[in-house]
Amino acid sequence: MTTAERLPGPDDLSDEEREAVETLLFRLADDEFVLAERYTEWQVRAPTLESDLALANIAQDELGHARLWYDLLQDFGPDEPDLIWERPADEWRHGTMVELPFEEGDWADPVLRSYLYDVAEEIRLEALVDSSYSRIRDRVGKIQGEEDYHREHAENWLERLTEDETGRERVQRALDRLFPYALTIFEPADEEVEGRIDELGLRTESLADMREAWLDTVVPYLDGLGLDADADADLPDEIGRDKSHTDDWNDLREEFTATYRELDRHEATRIMEDPDEVA
Amino acid sequence: MPGTGDVPGFDDDCADPALCAYTEYVEGEEVEDLPATGEGAEGIEADVWDALYGVEDPEMPVSIVDLGLIYGVEVTEREDVGFHAEVLMTLTYSGCPARDMLTDEVERSVVGVEGVESVDLRLVWSPEWSVEMVTERGKADLNEFGLSI
Repeated sequence: MTTAERLPGPDDLSDEEREAVETLLFRLADDEFVLAERYTEWQVRAPTLESDLALANIAQDELGHARLWYDLLQDFGPDEPDLIWERPADEWRHGTMVELPFEEGDWADPVLRSYLYDVAEEIRLEALVDSSYSRIRDRVGKIQGEEDYHREHAENWLERLTEDETGRERVQRALDRLFPYALTIFEPADEEVEGRIDELGLRTESLADMREAWLDTVVPYLDGLGLDADADADLPDEIGRDKSHTDDWNDLREEFTATYRELDRHEATRIMEDPDEVA
Repeated sequence: MPGTGDVPGFDDDCADPALCAYTEYVEGEEVEDLPATGEGAEGIEADVWDALYGVEDPEMPVSIVDLGLIYGVEVTEREDVGFHAEVLMTLTYSGCPARDMLTDEVERSVVGVEGVESVDLRLVWSPEWSVEMVTERGKADLNEFGLSI
């Protein structure tokens, strides 16, 4: 797949190529944006000042990465309100793990969720390093450079939380709840389009291969902490990638778009002229 | 145009990898051309660099050029229109909350240069910014501010 031909820029893609690029970008951008929204709920509530700041920082990183991917969707015409503030709930493509609410006060949940997600993200970014679409390829290094400490932070906490029996049981409960939803990360948005994403070389590893690589990492690691991850767990009813979502997603979306609606906004702050528009 | 013709980004969407500056960067060759400082620029292009030197980072008293955020400037004359400036710029951090503020200021400064009729600011993310891109003067400014790099 690394021999796939380089694709042209956004204006010169065929309809089929464009659909593949857009689908891939929505997968990436929506995961990052929604996860960051959830992380921010821990601000001023995390168990220590250090962890509070760390999670706030990680949330900011993920928002920055969402922005880099949404920028590329804007190449195709939609603006920020179309992509975020006014997009209907049933048009979002994130896997459902990132939209789940946290159980109140359960710090094990964001720590484990971050671990499951960040391992997946590392694998996913590696598969974009040699993407056939230069505008994706050019952003990957920046994002990888900012991801380094996310997984380290999560592992560091997981190791401490699983040191005693009570803590381990708590993490195990979070794992039982989250794991089936984590599997949605590697689910197809649409079988045919995902196949095209691979054929076009937009991504150099298939979803199935990435899922395998992810399981090979997380299952033994969690096992080493005395936790039991069920690799054969059934998928939840709501996958997210196919635009099916939990009711919690509707609530979350209502919440983060509330200010936009209350202020009767119809446009987001104009960030800048389209970077590719030749004036 | 001195110093900017082969900076990655101008050829961003190049379909032919053999002609694409980006592929050279993958080999790690292009970073040596950065930071771009406008050294050797002449005429209006030199004026654009001067304007860019006047824009400071929102958090530290150091020019964005000395901080290494500008990857290239290209000025072209358009018939009956005047000069058009294209600026390639990066940010230290993808989640930079000052993005709007900074890009607005850069656009205003460049379009304020006499003779420049339009500006096209393109944010690029490759090569990734690092402290290696800070110029000697930038290091001195940061040092004075209390940051040692």
